[in-house]
Amino acid sequence: MATRIQFENSCEVGVFSKLTNAYCLVAIGGSENFYSAFESELADVIPVVKTSIAGTRIIGRLCAGNKNGLLVPHNTTDQELQHLRNSLPDQVVVQRIEEKLSALGNCIACNDHVALTHTDLDKETEEIIADVLGVEVFRQTIAGNILVGSYCAFSNRGGLVHPHTSIEDLDELSTLLQVPLVAGTINRGSEVIAAGMTVNDWTAFCGSDTTATELSVIESVFKLREAQPTAIVEEMRKSLIDSYV
Amino acid sequence: MPRKPSGHRLLPVRPLTFSPFARSVARVATAYMVKHHVRDAMQHSAGDEFKKLKKVDRQSESSEDEEFDGVVEADFAFFDPKPEDFHGVKTLLQSYHDNKEWDLSGFVDLILGQTTVGTVVKLEDDEDKGVFSIITALNLGRYKDHKCISELKEFLLKLCLEKDKIGNLRSLLGDKAQDVGLLVSQRVVNLPPELLPHLYDALFDEILWATEDEPTEELRNSFRFKFYIVVSKIYKHKNANQKRTSSTDKDDAFIYIKPEEEILHKLSMWSFLFPLQTQQVVAHELKDYQLNGIVMAVKAEGISSFRQQLRTLISES
Repeated sequence: MATRIQFENSCEVGVFSKLTNAYCLVAIGGSENFYSAFESELADVIPVVKTSIAGTRIIGRLCAGNKNGLLVPHNTTDQELQHLRNSLPDQVVVQRIEEKLSALGNCIACNDHVALTHTDLDKETEEIIADVLGVEVFRQTIAGNILVGSYCAFSNRGGLVHPHTSIEDLDELSTLLQVPLVAGTINRGSEVIAAGMTVNDWTAFCGSDTTATELSVIESVFKLREAQPTAIVEEMRKSLIDSYV
Repeated sequence: MPRKPSGHRLLPVRPLTFSPFARSVARVATAYMVKHHVRDAMQHSAGDEFKKLKKVDRQSESSEDEEFDGVVEADFAFFDPKPEDFHGVKTLLQSYHDNKEWDLSGFVDLILGQTTVGTVVKLEDDEDKGVFSIITALNLGRYKDHKCISELKEFLLKLCLEKDKIGNLRSLLGDKAQDVGLLVSQRVVNLPPELLPHLYDALFDEILWATEDEPTEELRNSFRFKFYIVVSKIYKHKNANQKRTSSTDKDDAFIYIKPEEEILHKLSMWSFLFPLQTQQVVAHELKDYQLNGIVMAVKAEGISSFRQQLRTLISES
């Protein structure tokens, strides 16, 4: 199920949280509503951990991770690193990496099998990603944007990309990622998909400005409802921004 | 479908996005906008009101291609609020209520829905459609059923800790709401102050025209404001309450983030301060000051004096 929430009047929930299949990170501050929205959906299944990274609240954009591991930037403090290692499940490897592009969440988009990265990432970083997260790494752009981590969000079941992605690019990305992709928007027309939402295999959280159409697209492409995807696509043919791959 | 295992793939050729050098050239190129027309007085045209403004020209030298010495020339233009301005206006009004959660999106929709009164300042040919400033006046009685307005009234009543003012506030928000306009004015910090007199003139002129041009009697009356309420933030000197000798007079009791608020504060019937909950980053010069919220009520009769004083203030500075 996709839920609409907001962090202190901001609809950019993907900036203040990071959701994977094994854990969920939430920024400190804001009202308790934000944290409890995650808790109520996820508490029995995966740990919801409050944290900061490098003393900031924009944790979703600074770190990248999946069920196998979590990568944090070089400016993460030792206390934060220790807190993360203590709070996350043992099979999740938390690694701090020395990479000059420190907003890892903007540079890396990944699920449990594949990662798309910024084209200028270091070779070493690419190897660490492949090693810690257990994924195949592809350097890609999305609709001409190099910040792949910002302009797409994907799980093991589907993905949403920048609305101006061409059909050829959608095909190519879908082949790489092996999941169906849809080009669309979040939060009432915003193109920065990953900032506006966060998703895993069974649930998604979107900003409260997300329209009903956008929410339906998200629920269908990430297969969050049990309904048949094709039926939904047929119903909403006119309002979908691009076709199902 | 077989997938190529190697990490490097041949990407289709896309100019200017790959190398760091190309990106910095692209950045400089977009920041360097040269417009050479100078326009004088404001023109008012029916329909899409579009007032041009004198070009803001801080320094006479133009910047060179490679060297970006911080001089950007730009033409600001005033537009009617449109639905597409949603994200820009929402960003400007993000801290309108401190960090309390309220129906901000609804509030922005309300502002953008009122096209007859209200102005959005954008660059003339800006591709990004960035919103630099928003100014509008909302009739509290007309919109009293909207969630955002009722939440706003609740917040203000809760915030008012001064017993003598709360009665006034309650009446303005309650039975006198039909005559009260909420003056919303927000801008980016580096907006040139030369625009301010024109911005406020535009607003009050539009209010005057609306009292004549609106299609129904009810709407016309809704713009005959008798009072304006302003919600904003100012810096208050931490020792302002103590008696001060002449030696400390050089420290002002209040520092106003927006210059026009000093005039409004002096003209106001009453005002009260309230503490803010968000953490503030304090500049060194402001270390003796604390950021407070302020609510002011201004009589509509004082507006012409306000416009006059604002013009003088800006032309002096």
